[in-house]
Amino acid sequence: MSKIECSHCHLDFDEEVMIKDEDGENTYFFCCTGCQGVFHLLSDSGLDGFYDKLGSKKLTAPTHTFEDSSSFDSKTFYEQFVKKNEDGFCEISLVIEGIHCAACVWLNEKALHKLKGVIDVHINYTNNKAKIVWADHIVKLSSIIEMIRSIGYNAFPYDPSIQEEKANKERKNYYLRIVVALFSSMNIMWIAIAQYAGYFSGMTQEIKNILNLAEWILATPVLFYSGWTFFRGAYFGIKNKIVNMDILVATGASLTYIYSIYITLNESGEAYFDSVSMIITFVLLGKFLEVLSKKSAADTLDIIGKHIPNEVNVLRNDNIETVPVHDVKVGDIVEIRPGEKAAIDGEVLEGEGYFDESSLSGESRPIYKKLDDKIISGTVCVDARFRYKAMKDFSSSTLSHLVSMLDSAMSKKPSIELLANKISGHFSTAILVLAFLTFLLWLGLDNGFDRSFMVGISVIVIACPCALALATPVATLIGLSLGGRRGILFKEAAQLETMAKAQLLILDKTGTITEGKPKVINSKEYQDVDKSLLLALCNSSLHPISQAISSYLKEEDIKPAELLTVTQVPSRGVTAVFNGKKVLGGNAEFMKEAGIEVDIKSKYSLFFFAVEDKLISYYELRDSPKEGIKELLEYCKKSKIEVVMLTGDHKESASAIAKEVAIDKFYADLSPEDKANFVLEHKNKVSIMVGDGVNDILALAHANIGISMGSGSDIAIDVSDVVLLNDSLVSLKEAFLISRRTFTLVKQNLAISLVYNLITIPLAMAGFIIPLIAAISMSISSLLVVGNSIRIKWKWQK
Amino acid sequence: MNSGIVSMMLGVSLFLGAIALAGVMWAIKSGQFDDEKRMMDSVHDDGEDALNEAAEIERRKKEYKPE
Repeated sequence: MSKIECSHCHLDFDEEVMIKDEDGENTYFFCCTGCQGVFHLLSDSGLDGFYDKLGSKKLTAPTHTFEDSSSFDSKTFYEQFVKKNEDGFCEISLVIEGIHCAACVWLNEKALHKLKGVIDVHINYTNNKAKIVWADHIVKLSSIIEMIRSIGYNAFPYDPSIQEEKANKERKNYYLRIVVALFSSMNIMWIAIAQYAGYFSGMTQEIKNILNLAEWILATPVLFYSGWTFFRGAYFGIKNKIVNMDILVATGASLTYIYSIYITLNESGEAYFDSVSMIITFVLLGKFLEVLSKKSAADTLDIIGKHIPNEVNVLRNDNIETVPVHDVKVGDIVEIRPGEKAAIDGEVLEGEGYFDESSLSGESRPIYKKLDDKIISGTVCVDARFRYKAMKDFSSSTLSHLVSMLDSAMSKKPSIELLANKISGHFSTAILVLAFLTFLLWLGLDNGFDRSFMVGISVIVIACPCALALATPVATLIGLSLGGRRGILFKEAAQLETMAKAQLLILDKTGTITEGKPKVINSKEYQDVDKSLLLALCNSSLHPISQAISSYLKEEDIKPAELLTVTQVPSRGVTAVFNGKKVLGGNAEFMKEAGIEVDIKSKYSLFFFAVEDKLISYYELRDSPKEGIKELLEYCKKSKIEVVMLTGDHKESASAIAKEVAIDKFYADLSPEDKANFVLEHKNKVSIMVGDGVNDILALAHANIGISMGSGSDIAIDVSDVVLLNDSLVSLKEAFLISRRTFTLVKQNLAISLVYNLITIPLAMAGFIIPLIAAISMSISSLLVVGNSIRIKWKWQK
Repeated sequence: MNSGIVSMMLGVSLFLGAIALAGVMWAIKSGQFDDEKRMMDSVHDDGEDALNEAAEIERRKKEYKPE
């Protein structure tokens, strides 16, 4: 049987399963009607050029199961996602699913262009986001979406959040300013070389004037366009009565600029235009590095909103209706199906089954719910259909309450003043005062206004905080990239410094210290175990213990047997019938109730397996601590970081784990709010919270640094500042090492730039500095700082 | 060297440089560097088609303009 390629998706299939399609002299083969449909659609509308562009690449076959697209025309949808542009056309941002290559982008653009009423389509190759502009009175959005679906792709709307756009705009703005600054500085440099040469070998005043003029022209956009942020920063600094580095840069650069103009017009002395542009360019680069590594808190909140269900099924007039969560009133009857997340708090009226509350309590076992039991929003229904009475409206339900609390926590996130900012304030004041004093002193010593002013200026120029401005951003950026390569994502550069200063490490238990899933650690078999039977039994239950045994057995590659009449006994176990025999699996109580004697005791969870009232085997399971916890705790002890464990779990299991890993301080039975309060009570210390679940998010948000596990819940990852991609505590220790190493180098960098100033400022005050020396020393100090920062990597390269 | 020549050379080179700078800035502003993959990939599709498309967009903007 030969494999043959589908004419549309280019995937290989056996010839006999293919749909043969003869079209004149050509014969085509399709793997499914979906591919066939798309193929004909494309050739009918003259878009078959797609296949030439596609080459030999393979596609995923189009799927058919799409919901009705008419919901895209609803008013609420338009309000949420569709914008009107200035010409009166509608505009939407979509993410297109199924794009593999440039040919797919081409096809989508072409197909949509063919649609009457569509004005413009622009699809980003890199992130598959599309912007579509259309005339709403000619074509509806639903037809556009249908077109995308009919050619084998799917589209989702997304809110191009204002935040994201703002951040991009800011970045672009900086980019433009840097391009101008670099262009001008580089040109000024080669003109300056001519001047330096002329300074030593002599040149006529006429040539000097031309060079000065050219530099003047180049320095002007650097100072006023690229340097605009410094003037703005200086203005805000003065307004708030704070001396910041922007003031030093702005006054230094503009005074130098004015002085140089004076020199140029007066045709005597040396102009400093090169220093003007160099100061601005270097410091701007430092600022740009900071902007690059910044995340905005508001972006995070946008993402959190996506985790809240926005519609629920409510019983109204004997019909199930889907209504927005805000329309649910107290007393309404809400229906929830397996896999759905509850949005509203309530009490069960109908249905029995398990709820996964791990996101809120950290409890790894699903909770069994029956009549009159409480359902908490944010928990997930596992295996049954429930109807429950809403006891609270949406805004006062647990989940939305948690999110609104998170909102306020994020906006009040504590931050530590960075060392560089602390220094730069004092530094700027000192330099400005020194420069002024120098000027007065020289004037007092009868040196004439010109000379005195020039010496005063040279103090400011030589003290240019280039190295100071680069000290932190360069080092932290290298720290960030090092962390990134080792699976530690710092979301913001400043976090490195905060982390290096940490005094308190707060660890969540489940999923952070422990694996979060029970594992079989010990087993005893009294008789030969029919493993296929046991596997089938365990597969039938969603309980974590059964799941753990399934995964333990699956390692041996066993096929499950066919069971009859499986019955789940809540918080006990499972029974089933196999070949007329009764099969049992569950805990000790379950065995006793079935009349089987068990006298095995263990501090861990036990699972017994019995056939026909005879105990066959038992398994010991526990949620064991992760690797590397010992090393982490040792490291914390050595570096005087206090370690505390917080958990929503019971005291017994908490103390067992605490004893095992040797953590002295732990608190159990905590609600998400309790955890957050614990963090708030320790505000006087720089705290790090490590967690993985929704129950940790408030604490993560309140701590100076929130660290989450990469496998943790999405919200926890969004809220936290650092993500450990491989979930390992070894990475956590490494994160400490990297942050401390980075901070050491930041301190060294600051020291280098200060020492440099200690040497050069007295020289400048004595009047020994000429433009050449100023330019060279500026570059050398900046290079030293950058070179020193690269040393962060050394330790890890071995 | 004659100062006239120096000033002319400086002037011309700075002028040319400024044109290039303006071009780069325009490209950044109009978002031509936002999509790094498109820059390379769309080379394949470059041609008459792209021009026709641009003209078509202009025509549609006029045709469908809502009142």
